[in-house]
Amino acid sequence: MTVILLVEDNEMNRDMLTRRLQRNGFEVICAPDGPTGVRLADEATPDLILMDVALGEMDGWEATLLIKGSEKTRHIPIIALTAHALSSDRERSVEVGCSDFDTKPVDLPRLLGKINACLRQRAEAAA
Amino acid sequence: MAPSLAEPLTLLGRVIDWFIPPQIAADRDMRQQARMFLMSHLFGPFIGNTVPLALYVVDPSPGYPIAVLAASITGFWIFPFVLKAGGRYQTLALLSIQNLMFCILWSCFFYGGVTSPTLPWVLTIPLLSFFYLSAAPSLRLTVLVMFGVNCLAFASAYRLGLSPERHDLPFAALQGLGLVSTVAASLYVAMMAIYYGKAQASQGEIETEMKQHMATAAELRRATEEAERAGVAKAEFLAKMSHELRTPLNAVIGYSQMLLEDAADEGDAEMAADLDKIHVAGQHLLKLVNEVLDLSKIEAGKMELFNQPTDVVGLVENVVAGFRKAADAAGDKLVVDVEGPVGTALCDEAKVRQALSQLVDNAIKFTSNGEVRVAVRKQDGRVFFDVRDTGIGIEEHVLPALFEHFTVGDDSSASKYGGTGLGLALARKLSRLMGGDVTVTSRVGVGSIFTMSIPHSLVEEEAVPGSAAAPAAGDCLDARIEALQELVAANAPAAAPVRRAVGS
Repeated sequence: MTVILLVEDNEMNRDMLTRRLQRNGFEVICAPDGPTGVRLADEATPDLILMDVALGEMDGWEATLLIKGSEKTRHIPIIALTAHALSSDRERSVEVGCSDFDTKPVDLPRLLGKINACLRQRAEAAA
Repeated sequence: MAPSLAEPLTLLGRVIDWFIPPQIAADRDMRQQARMFLMSHLFGPFIGNTVPLALYVVDPSPGYPIAVLAASITGFWIFPFVLKAGGRYQTLALLSIQNLMFCILWSCFFYGGVTSPTLPWVLTIPLLSFFYLSAAPSLRLTVLVMFGVNCLAFASAYRLGLSPERHDLPFAALQGLGLVSTVAASLYVAMMAIYYGKAQASQGEIETEMKQHMATAAELRRATEEAERAGVAKAEFLAKMSHELRTPLNAVIGYSQMLLEDAADEGDAEMAADLDKIHVAGQHLLKLVNEVLDLSKIEAGKMELFNQPTDVVGLVENVVAGFRKAADAAGDKLVVDVEGPVGTALCDEAKVRQALSQLVDNAIKFTSNGEVRVAVRKQDGRVFFDVRDTGIGIEEHVLPALFEHFTVGDDSSASKYGGTGLGLALARKLSRLMGGDVTVTSRVGVGSIFTMSIPHSLVEEEAVPGSAAAPAAGDCLDARIEALQELVAANAPAAAPVRRAVGS
């Protein structure tokens, strides 16, 4: 089963997105903050990471940098989730190595499309 | 009285300033000294020459001493021209003082020695030294030494038997001579003192005025800074507010969509319709929050541009594709017209997209069973986007206010067509931020044309900026990553419960 790591500090958003992703056949693990996200990425090596960028002490960009900086986890595609589609966020997500970018509140069909595209790309790259 | 005096004084000031070379005029203190120097040299010889003149009159056998004295005094007139020609000011001042000492001691030497009626002129030496060289104490000391040397020279000449042929004057002549000499010396000193006082006064006035100007400038700066701070505070407040508003909104939108999916799965159409209303209202509220945030950001000068090479036609087609469903729902035909080659423009894609989306959204909202055409063209170094609709149109008197916040045609159309009333304001503000604009022409019952323009900066001209700076940024990232790794290590206990949760 495809494992998705969701890094999101808001409990409701975490719950909601987790359940909706589970319904669509994904296994979801959650991290409530950046450091935990980095740790779980390393321990569980998920197939894909959904990264909220507006986290607490360590924001999503920084967590992404760390994950992309580690040999073990750098191959994992990361989709950045931001509250509002600002061009600065778009630029930033590319800069830190995110594969894609989506805005919250999540439009699930659109996000699923992006998730699947990332997973396909990753599979092609691995093959 | 004052105006009649002012005219010749200004003229005098102009004459004096004409002699001052630019490098001296540039320095305030130097300029002041040079003015005193010039005043003294231009008018001094007139007063000073009264002494040789008086000697010539009273001396029964006038000879070369009077001629030498007159020549020396007249020689002062050369100094201003030498200064104008670029002579070194301090050297000239010292030479002038030397000449003054010579004149005084020379006349004393021939006419009366230590009892000479020309002796009061000695007083002018320290006075003029002060006026010419006030800024340099060492130079004033030099003047003192010079005076000593001069006295010594004349005393030696006397001792060595070079005693002058005696010009014994009758007592009455001496009295007259003393009177003329003293009056002339006093006049001279008075002239210099008055001029000095006047110059100081005008200097003081200028300084007072300057201080006032500077105080005003400082006050303006303070006010500007305060306004900027207030603007920043407002933008920060709105950003925070928007974040706080969005978090619960995310839940409303997300859960309603989730329940909507459930209802659809279970075939509960009534429930699905109600949930859809919650969902749509949530989306609407979110859009409003985002637009308020964007507007406040632009107004606070916090909105930045991220220009990148953008395929303009692709962008238009992409935006229009996003409205296909909405256009179908309204029964509108949605068409893209590409009028000639547009190419790749250097622009902030996200903001162009946002502004254009507002216009297309607006057009579809006010057009039913009609047509919305989005035309894109390049003209005069700009990209133009024309959004034409065959909708209800806008009355002319409403047009000027259309781009103000919260204006939607009229109040009734707001309730009929929805819309936040911020969209057009935001579209225009975004375009203007990018160096463009949004304009509108409209006819009631026929339709409207909204035209957005942005500058078309050629990509070729902007050759890969920032590529040279990339390695430095990389170094910086490395350092940041190290710091972050420490943070992860430090946070290990907090992460423990989650790990267990994952394990289970």
